[in-house]
Amino acid sequence: MEAINDSPRLSEEPPQPQDRLSPEELKRYDRQIGPGVLTVAGQERLKRASALITRVGGMGGPAALMLTMGGVGRVVIAHGGEMISPDLNRQVLGSEPDLGKPRAEQFSAYLRTMNRFVEVEAIDHEPDDAEALELARQVDLIIACPPTFAERLRLNRAAVSAGIPFIDAAQWGMTGTLVVVQPGQTACLECLYPAAPPFEELFPVVGAISATIGSMAALEGIKILSGEGQPLWGQLLSYDGRQGRISQINLQRRADCDCCGNL
Amino acid sequence: MKIQIVVTGRGYDAAETLPNELTLADDASLEQALLALEEYFPDDRPLPPTCLLAVSGRHLGTVSQFQSITLREGDELTLIAPVAGG
Ligand SMILES: [Zn+2]
Repeated sequence: MEAINDSPRLSEEPPQPQDRLSPEELKRYDRQIGPGVLTVAGQERLKRASALITRVGGMGGPAALMLTMGGVGRVVIAHGGEMISPDLNRQVLGSEPDLGKPRAEQFSAYLRTMNRFVEVEAIDHEPDDAEALELARQVDLIIACPPTFAERLRLNRAAVSAGIPFIDAAQWGMTGTLVVVQPGQTACLECLYPAAPPFEELFPVVGAISATIGSMAALEGIKILSGEGQPLWGQLLSYDGRQGRISQINLQRRADCDCCGNL
Repeated sequence: MKIQIVVTGRGYDAAETLPNELTLADDASLEQALLALEEYFPDDRPLPPTCLLAVSGRHLGTVSQFQSITLREGDELTLIAPVAGG
């Protein structure tokens, strides 16, 4: 049985010749096409899809890497600043020689070395409200991995306005959470947090948890964009690595949500 | 009756002082459970108002604004202090 999920942006149109997988691409994705993973049609949907990941630190880095290696056709990353030493306890897209260099440029160059079949675009800053909305209209999915709720809520609002799925990936210490939003159908991030929780600039983080949550976000993205498997729509998944505990919550929409209440 | 308590997210330090289980009167409400938990928190480190609340997987709001339901024996009260690290 081919499990097709109900992602709102999956194209109903038959793929064009350029959307078909070449023999080289079929060889590249050989281990992820088959029973229990993707169908050829699902892999072709990934090829036609695009995703914005912002930012690409300890979580967004692994998320962008897994989407690129998995064959999402167009991967857009956004991250400002230059690589600093403390990044390297969790940054998988950079290494010692990259210290002091612009993050977006270095990380996008690395991603391109990982999959020549994927188009990688880099934005060297954090998008403001207008740019976030503009970007949301040009992609099929947003994965939010910034360090503040203000940015997360901005990206959530952009995704809801554009009508595209939104994945919020967040962590603290050895714990992380994932929220998967289908605008108008499930709770959005603002349904959970009508007021942004306080900002904590220097949050603690162990690289193993940020890579775990980033990879889980990428897997949700791959399911959504391929149309296969069952995304965690409307769920909050918490993985508390410190306590060794997984919790899953069915999120409720708020009728008076400023962001999605009118959908 | 007894309910299970799970604290996660930014509230890891609270989890270390909270009981895993809480004994309440039969048909106690979520509000009563939260009041009972309050005594376990140091005065200077209460749960944040934005902390998410769920009972047995059902999302009920935040500490500052939630739907108070009647609890049942064996319910799991989950408190998730929001995390935003990237
Ligand atoms: Zn909402």
